[in-house]
Amino acid sequence: MTPIPDDEQLGRRLAAELPRYTAPASLRAAIVQAHRPASSHRPAWLSPLLAAAATAMVLALFMLPVLPRLQPSDPVDQLVRAVVSEHSRALMWGSRQSQVYPAALPWLQQQTGIGLTSVFIGDDRLEFVSAEPVYLLRQRGVAMHYRDLDGHLVTYVALPADSLKVPDRNRVQIDRYRPALVKDSGFVTWVWRQRDVACFLVSDMVSVDDLERFKDYFVRVRTSTEPALAY
Amino acid sequence: MADPEFQRDALQHLNALYNFAMYLTRNPPEAEDLVQETYLRAFRFSHRFQPGTHLRAWLFQILRNTFLTFYRLREREAAVAEDGVPDWDTPMFHDTPLDEGRAMEAHTDLERALRRLPEEFRTVLLLAEVEGMPLEEVARVMACPVGTVKSRIFRAKERLRGLLKDYEK
Repeated sequence: MTPIPDDEQLGRRLAAELPRYTAPASLRAAIVQAHRPASSHRPAWLSPLLAAAATAMVLALFMLPVLPRLQPSDPVDQLVRAVVSEHSRALMWGSRQSQVYPAALPWLQQQTGIGLTSVFIGDDRLEFVSAEPVYLLRQRGVAMHYRDLDGHLVTYVALPADSLKVPDRNRVQIDRYRPALVKDSGFVTWVWRQRDVACFLVSDMVSVDDLERFKDYFVRVRTSTEPALAY
Repeated sequence: MADPEFQRDALQHLNALYNFAMYLTRNPPEAEDLVQETYLRAFRFSHRFQPGTHLRAWLFQILRNTFLTFYRLREREAAVAEDGVPDWDTPMFHDTPLDEGRAMEAHTDLERALRRLPEEFRTVLLLAEVEGMPLEEVARVMACPVGTVKSRIFRAKERLRGLLKDYEK
């Protein structure tokens, strides 16, 4: 029987008796291979080419906002695009002025020249958020924002119609109305005309299910809102 | 990327690191993976190494930390997988039973007893007694004060003696 060693003996035994494992030669080779600089395998022209491509991409990204854009030639499309921009601005930044119906109506009429003899002020589905004057394509108008129960922002815009003609294409029969449905930049817009006022109702409800609800919102707004040129 | 001189100096400790990895993992392929990962990290972070300090201690420290990070984590995952119940109480340092089906055979009672020590005790003995590291270097590898290293060595030897006594009965 081996006597139980003291601390010092135990230390010596550990150093002397424990087998020492040597790293296989393949391990050293694998480590060296793994850390060989990859650049030696890379063609000399590749780095400058990648750098140039990256620079070009960065420049393109910077220039993107100032590149000329194709404007739609159709006046309705132009107005829809302007209305959609206004809607997305409200979506991202909120209203410029937080005016609440009915106190805002005289002020809105004074600011925009569009009077609202009756206004949709919201119901169980749509909550009235705010009303504000807007200036789109050199025309003053009224914008009213609503939010539905699912959080969709719905914007109603009324502008002087002048000689604007709602195109027959994309007309959709909803109840007794036939507004045109125009899609732009991921948003859908109902376009119709009430006497001398062009009306727009825009939202991001583009899916099939959402569109059915958006039709319903159109009816609610259309039946309750009566815009007219004030002067 | 580490410079060639650093790589050459680091590779001088390959055998010592592999030996240490073998005692930690008890499995040659795992030991090789552990050493490879250690060198990968050492070369990647070579700029953090301060020339003039102990390269050997730095490398051992990386190896041990890598082992604790990956291999202990995997051990825990295996414990969960086997009985299907998460075993969150599994201690980080514990007496690991030998997994005879997977691990390499121990040659002597001394090796068998060493394997049964908790990692923190096994490591101090391997570094101080087998590798002959000064206590200051061991403390750096273990990231603890020298006094703690001394007490761990003392307790490790005490437990080792107890285990050897059991084998020799």
